[in-house]
Amino acid sequence: MIILNDIWKQYLLHNNTHRSIREDVVNLFKAKPKTKQSDGTFWALKGVNFSVKKGECLGLYGPNGSGKSTILKIIGNITSPTKGTLQVNGRIAPMIQQGAGFHLDLTGRENIYVNAAILGMTIKQIKKNIAAIIEFSGLDCDMIDVPVKKYSTGMYVRLGFSIAVHTEADIFLIDEILAVGDEDFKKKCINQILHLKKLGRTLIVVTHNMQQMEEVSDRIIYINKGVIE
Amino acid sequence: MLKIYRNLIQYKDLLLILTWREISVRYRQTSIGIAWAIIQPLSLMLVFAFIFTYLMPTRVSGYPKMIFFYAALVPWTFFSTAINYAIPCLVNQYNLITKIYFPREILPISQIIVAFVDFLLASILFVVFMFFYDIELTWNVLWFFPLFIQLILFTTAMSLTLSSLNVFYRDVNVASGFIMRLWFFMTPIFYSIDTLSIKIKLLLFLNPLTFIIENMRRCLIEGRGVIVWQFLIVSFILLVYFYLSIVYFKKIESKFADII
Repeated sequence: MIILNDIWKQYLLHNNTHRSIREDVVNLFKAKPKTKQSDGTFWALKGVNFSVKKGECLGLYGPNGSGKSTILKIIGNITSPTKGTLQVNGRIAPMIQQGAGFHLDLTGRENIYVNAAILGMTIKQIKKNIAAIIEFSGLDCDMIDVPVKKYSTGMYVRLGFSIAVHTEADIFLIDEILAVGDEDFKKKCINQILHLKKLGRTLIVVTHNMQQMEEVSDRIIYINKGVIE
Repeated sequence: MLKIYRNLIQYKDLLLILTWREISVRYRQTSIGIAWAIIQPLSLMLVFAFIFTYLMPTRVSGYPKMIFFYAALVPWTFFSTAINYAIPCLVNQYNLITKIYFPREILPISQIIVAFVDFLLASILFVVFMFFYDIELTWNVLWFFPLFIQLILFTTAMSLTLSSLNVFYRDVNVASGFIMRLWFFMTPIFYSIDTLSIKIKLLLFLNPLTFIIENMRRCLIEGRGVIVWQFLIVSFILLVYFYLSIVYFKKIESKFADII
């Protein structure tokens, strides 16, 4: 169960990269012009309300920069909302794009351990699931013990997705990762998502592919410029 | 505090795996691998022994120079390695921090454990030196363990503070090499504070490592004990700092993904 209650999120556009102590000290002594305060900030979400029931699959649809990923980040506890309250019950597995946690020098098998642990699995659970993960990814047995820097993009992404769908979580956040892999693998992914749904998992899917989204989601929310339409 | 601990325990397997990853990545594709952990304090020891024996002959203490330097270099190397590994660790894991939640303190803590493994290896050589120089062991050696807990508290608190500051100010990473070098000289590693005047002693005691490292050496090779009231005061200060560093880290943790 996920409830978003009037969520607002503000990002700073400038000063959000490398700030230096020197700059901060200088700014401390500079009189701040009051009018400038509205500049340099950006509201990514402007009062978003919705809830997702347990076992439901919700699709989020909207153009680039509309705030879809921000919603997932807030639900995933990666960033906190500027205003509003959030209620999430259950363990979350965010599906990070293209194996973001992979270390290039480690082998596929070693990366499964690292990535699955980051997703919140225990060593015991990983050992139990590792065969299924490798099988689902479709990687050859001799490739799994090769450092992932030798992998092709497709292999890389397939392994990342495979780890994510085998996580033992209640809520899955799926951000545009269905666009990867070949047709066969895409079909496999959709089947796996439908399978998770059948198991009673809650899913939130973001994709630009309307056809895919209609195939898996129970309900679609349209979002534009940080507001639900 | 208890809540933070419970949350961390849930992720203990992640901590284990990340630590293992750091160790295996660090020494993969190196030919002498883990021996690097010993080379660093050992080479510093040799250089100092060379300087103070041949270049500017000085009587540093009544004990053989080699073991005298090494006894301080091993805990110092633990501290400096842990800090140097920890400072950039949050920024380096940019793609994890912006994509997924896990208790962020796991990253600096795993770096400290890596430095601890290096420390254990370097300690083996220390035991060899103990036999070689025929150092007499006394019960005071047991003081080493509470002193080491102090060292861990201080190292953890510093790592949490500096690694999170580095997310906001990259200056920390730039300055760290230079500051650690200054710190090295302000810590009694190749000198002892025994013969110094009380004023200078007090000045050096502003650095918690002075107390920890000087006393570690005293109890290990000189068979001296630790003055209990001093130990209690330092422990109290370190515990307060440790507590504050955790509270501060947990408080700004949620901003990392936006700022980094």
